[in-house]
Parts: sequence; structure tokens; C-alpha cells
Amino acid sequence: MFLDPDSKLAQRLNPVLFLLPAVAIYILFAIYPTISVVEYSFTDWDGINPNRNYIGLENYERLFSDKIFWEAFRNTFVWSAVIIVINVGLGLVIASMLARVWKARLIIQTAIVLPVVISPMAVATIWRWMYQPKGAVNQVLEVIGLGAFKTPWLGSPDAVLYALAVAHSWSTMGLSVIIFLAGLQAVDEHLYEAAKIDGASPLQSFRFVTLPALRPVTAVVFILTLTQSFKVFDIVWATTQGGPIRFSEILSTYMYKRGALENDYGYGAAIGVALLVIVSLATIVYMQLQNRQES
Amino acid sequence: MQHKNLTGSLLVALPTFLATPALSQTEVVVWVGGEPGQTTVYETIANQFNEENPGVNLTVVTNTSDIFNPALVPALSAGEGPDVFTFGTGPGQPAALIAGGLVADLTDAYYEHNWSQTIPEGIIVQTSSDGKLWSYGNEVETTGMFYNKAIFAEHGLSVPTSWAEMEAVVETLMAAGFETPIGLAGADKWPVSHWQSMIFGRYAGPEGIENVLFSDGSWTDEPFVQASARLQQMGQADWFGPTPVAIGYGELMDAFWAGEIPMTFTGPWVVGGGIEAAGDRISDFSVFAVPPFEPGQKIYPTNSIGSGWYIRVNSEHKEIAIAYINRMFQNVEGRVTLLDHGVVPVGPLEEALAMANMPQLSVDIWKAADDHAANGSVPAFLDTITPGTLTTVSYDGLQALLLGVMTPEEFTAAMQEAWAASKAAGEIMLPGGIAER
Repeated sequence: MFLDPDSKLAQRLNPVLFLLPAVAIYILFAIYPTISVVEYSFTDWDGINPNRNYIGLENYERLFSDKIFWEAFRNTFVWSAVIIVINVGLGLVIASMLARVWKARLIIQTAIVLPVVISPMAVATIWRWMYQPKGAVNQVLEVIGLGAFKTPWLGSPDAVLYALAVAHSWSTMGLSVIIFLAGLQAVDEHLYEAAKIDGASPLQSFRFVTLPALRPVTAVVFILTLTQSFKVFDIVWATTQGGPIRFSEILSTYMYKRGALENDYGYGAAIGVALLVIVSLATIVYMQLQNRQES
Repeated sequence: MQHKNLTGSLLVALPTFLATPALSQTEVVVWVGGEPGQTTVYETIANQFNEENPGVNLTVVTNTSDIFNPALVPALSAGEGPDVFTFGTGPGQPAALIAGGLVADLTDAYYEHNWSQTIPEGIIVQTSSDGKLWSYGNEVETTGMFYNKAIFAEHGLSVPTSWAEMEAVVETLMAAGFETPIGLAGADKWPVSHWQSMIFGRYAGPEGIENVLFSDGSWTDEPFVQASARLQQMGQADWFGPTPVAIGYGELMDAFWAGEIPMTFTGPWVVGGGIEAAGDRISDFSVFAVPPFEPGQKIYPTNSIGSGWYIRVNSEHKEIAIAYINRMFQNVEGRVTLLDHGVVPVGPLEEALAMANMPQLSVDIWKAADDHAANGSVPAFLDTITPGTLTTVSYDGLQALLLGVMTPEEFTAAMQEAWAASKAAGEIMLPGGIAER
């Protein structure tokens, strides 16, 4: 009845059996919904009527002439760029500094990583309160003598997107720092010693030792940050709902508005597919550039 | 032997276990709008209903409006979801649900339970189409200018009855150091829509609004442009403070109850929170009707049904759902409970009012509206009776008006464009009315 655990067949089947539950869950909750979204994007489904009419590429044609879609597209790129600069750039700098600090390292590390475990809705609530015109951010600016920079953060067309990107980075950068720290621990200390003997300054060591050694880790952090930033929804929705007007409208909030709030699920699905294609393309391009640099 | 004893014990215990009320209860799910974790009056009445009907367990699930509909629609489409739920009323919001055959026809219940005794004709218009009743329009809601009597008294101010007096009140308050004389939570978008509904109604009158909603009127008609211009003018004069679109509703109401903002335009749903926040100082607050914006203009109180109660078309518990609706709105105890919580049910109130203990602030709101009831009323919440596409355009446009990046003409043109598109797509409900029997 049962296979001999030492048999060749059992040894071949075991990994498959162990993987099967995870693969089944992945297919059910990731692959199948993704395929469904692609299918809906070719329909005029309103999310209510059981009948879905197939309308070919009509939803995608609408995307090209939809002014708001392109506004959201541009905002999403600005949003992602800011988050990548903070999470990858600042994250690397902080990790490099932390790697050299031994005293109180655990406390600083915990402080930076703590926001990662806070629920996104709680993060949104905290920052919504801090960004009020008389909120903590403006009060701190006043106290430190930077009162001239006080801004109605959530109501300013010029500032809102950047303000929300900073809030999002605050809650996600800890993960980048942890990954960079893990990567830094794998860098051979002898390389730093050799650089020091050659007369390299700390900055030159960072430029010629740390950065090249961390290239694969940086790629992982970059792709994680990119995909995370593109799919963000909660913090924007819970603070501004894409406002004021549409100055913080990103593709995910626009998709939600069109699909779920306006019962235009077919078009919402097309926006979702566009988002998927953009993230995939950006990831492929980055990976290609990385490979080219390495080769 | 021991096994036999155990099996025997289980066989004896099983019927007793199955007969326990918990297992024989009929589970009926109710979805209502509100803040999660906050007990609504509907939950209170559901608990009373459960006590009166031991075989039934009504479970009330509360969710905020921005995630309520996106969760509801897929659930109903999948043939699941709540047995009974609250949702927007006509002519815009429920059209798709009705067209999709997702909600039950309540016309039989209307005649069987004499709902005509409580639901006024004006509400039937917004809850019926094709001669059928689709929802029980529940409570009546209005909006008014909430103000801090203590601040007014301190600065020698009285309730304004003309626009000139209103301007004088705002000027005095600004001179006294109130940066925001009238609080407006523009960051949340929907509070601006309350101003829009009121001011559109004031300039266009009830006929002007109905002409657009149910006939061939246009949002670009002159009264709507003038109303939008007035709202923009108030914003640009800093009546709502320097940055209304940066302020959230929760934060604003906290500031209002704390006495940092003298006035805000809102509705009776804030009374419960106000009593909690202000405590004994709640008597410092009252409500007045915003005075006419122009000489000779009438005050039309805003009056809307908060939402309607719908029953899922394939619910197996329609009778219980109807009994729950009856317990809330047709039964005097239910009506008293609603009034005690500051919720005004549709229909005649004399009997329930005599028994109720309404918060004074709620009484003030209704008094402010009743004083002008003879003029006719206008919708309090245009955003709940128009399609989602128009709501999005209105919300964004109102913020644009306040920020001064859109003209009143552009705003009303954008509204009309969205409205015309919804009409063309059949997304609006036609004027209601129930077929005579």
C-alpha cells in the first residue's frame, strides 16, 4: 500500500508531495485570480450582472485616452522613485552605518525595523494625524526653527505625494535595512583591510568594496521595493483617497475607484493588468541592466 | 466495557446537545454602515429582537462606507452576503443592484405590513422603480450649522438670520483669532458634498434639483453655477480656514467639540460622539439653519433618507428580515429606541416622541429644519443618490473648487458630463412609485 521510503520513486515523489499544498494554495489564490483579472479586462462586467460581455481590447483602448489614468501613471512613477531612493539609497547608508556601530546597535535596529510590523492602516492613521495642519510634523518644524517649511501636507497638491511616500518609506525601509545588514555581514572583512592598507578612505571603501559586494542584495531590495511601492493602496486610500483632487492618485487607488466604487470592474481589471505589465517590465529591465553590469 | 459506557453516554447526550438553542437558531446576517467596533442603534434593536425571538440570531456587521459597497457587491453577485443590509437609495446608487436582480422586491411586504402608514410618498419616490418597492427608506436625516454657543456668547454673537449677519459673525470670529470659523473636513471629500447638497438646493430649490434628477435639467443650469461660485468664494475668503482640504473629519470634529472651531456644517450622526467628547459641555452646542445666501432666497431644509434597507434576493430568511425592519420602524418601541439614539425614523413621530428621550442637540437639529419645513426640502446627500461616477467627479471637483484650480463653470460641466454618461448607460433609477393594488 505504502511506498518504501527508500525507494527511488518515493525519493522522487517526496519533494513533489511536500510542495503540493503550497503550490495548490499559490495557484488558487495567486495564479487563478490573476488569470481571472486578465479575463475580466476583456469584458464590460459591472461586478453585479452575472452576464459579462466580451468587448475585446476596448478597455485597453480606453486606457490610452483616459487622462486620469495617465495622471495616476505619472504619480505612480514619482511615488515609486521617491520610495526607491529612500528605501534603497538611505536604507543602504543606514545599514552600512549600523554595521560599523556596536553600541546600541540592537536598539537602533529595532527602532528602524519596528514600523515594518505595524499594520498599514495603523501607519496611515498615525501619519494622517501627524500631517494635519496643526499636527506633529508642522509642530516639530516650528520647534526646530524650520517654521517656513510648514505645509498643509495632505491638502497641498505639490507636497502630498512626497509626504505620503515618506510615510510609506518609514513603514517599509526597515526591511531594506535588515536585508542590507545581512548582505554586509557576508562581505569579506579582508577586503576592507586591503582597501585600508591601500590608503582608501571610508567613502572609497564604501564605493569600491561595499557597493560591488552588495550588488546582488541591492537587486533584491530594489525589486522588492519596486513591487511593494507599485501595489501600495492602503496608506494612500486611508489618508487622502487620492486627493486633493487627484494629486495623490496612484494606479492602485484609481483601479479601486473605477472597479469597486463605480462598478466598472472590466475597466478596473484593465488598469490592474496595466499595473502588472509595468511592474514586470520594470523588473525585467532592471535585471537586464544588473546582468550587463556584472558580465 | 468502558468504550460501551462512553458510546452510551454520547448517544444519550447527543439529542440534548442538538436541542440546545444555540444550534437550533436561525442565523440572519445584517450589514450596516458605520465605524467598525462602534455599536449602532441597529445592533441594539437586533439584540432586542434576538431576545424576543429565541429561535433567531441576528448578527449585525458594521463597516465604513468606503469599503462597505466594494465588499457588498461581490458578495451579492456571488449569491452570498448579508440577508438584509443598508445601501444608498435612488435615483443613482441602487439601479445596478436592481438591474442585476440582486435585491428582493418588497412590494408584497409594503401592502401586507401597511408600510404606507409610515413611509412618506417622497421617500417612496427614491426607493421604488417599475412600480415595485426595493427598499425601506429608514431614517430621515438633515444637516445644519452646528455652533458653539459659549464661543458665540463670549464674542457677543447671535445666530445669523441673513447673509450680512453671517459675514459679520465670521469676521468677528476671525478677528478674535479663530483661524477656522467654519470647520470643513475637505480631506475626506464627502463632508464638502454636504455643503454642495445644501447650497445647490438653496439656489435651485426643490424643483430645480428634481428637474435634474428625474427630468432633463442639467447641472450646468445657472443656479448650480452660482451655488458653486458661492462655495468657492467662501473657501477663498478662508471661511473654512486656510487649508480645508488638508483636514480629516475625525480631527475636525475633535477640534470642534474641544471648542477650537466655532462652527461646522454636519448632521445628527455626530451627536453621540459629541456627547462622549464634550461631556457636560454638550449643552454649549446647538444648531442653526444657514441663512439665505442671497436676498429673497428661501431656506429649504435638507432632508434625505440616510439609506434604505434591502433584502438579498436569494435570502432564505426574508420573513425574518422583514420582521426586523418592522421591529425597527413599524413598532413603537423600535421607533423610541431609534429616537433615543438621535435617529429619526420615517413617518409620523407623535407617539414615539412622547415616549422618547432625545438628546437636546438632536432636538435642536430638527427644530432648525422644521422651522422652514413649509418651504419644501432638498436632498441632504446628493452623493448617496447619484451614481458612483458622478460622486467621484463631484468629490474631486469640490476639492478643486476649494483650492481655486477649477472654475464653477468647469465644475458643473464636469458633473453634467458624468451625469449624462451615467444616464446614457442606464445607471440611474427612474422616478419611483408603487403600483396600486
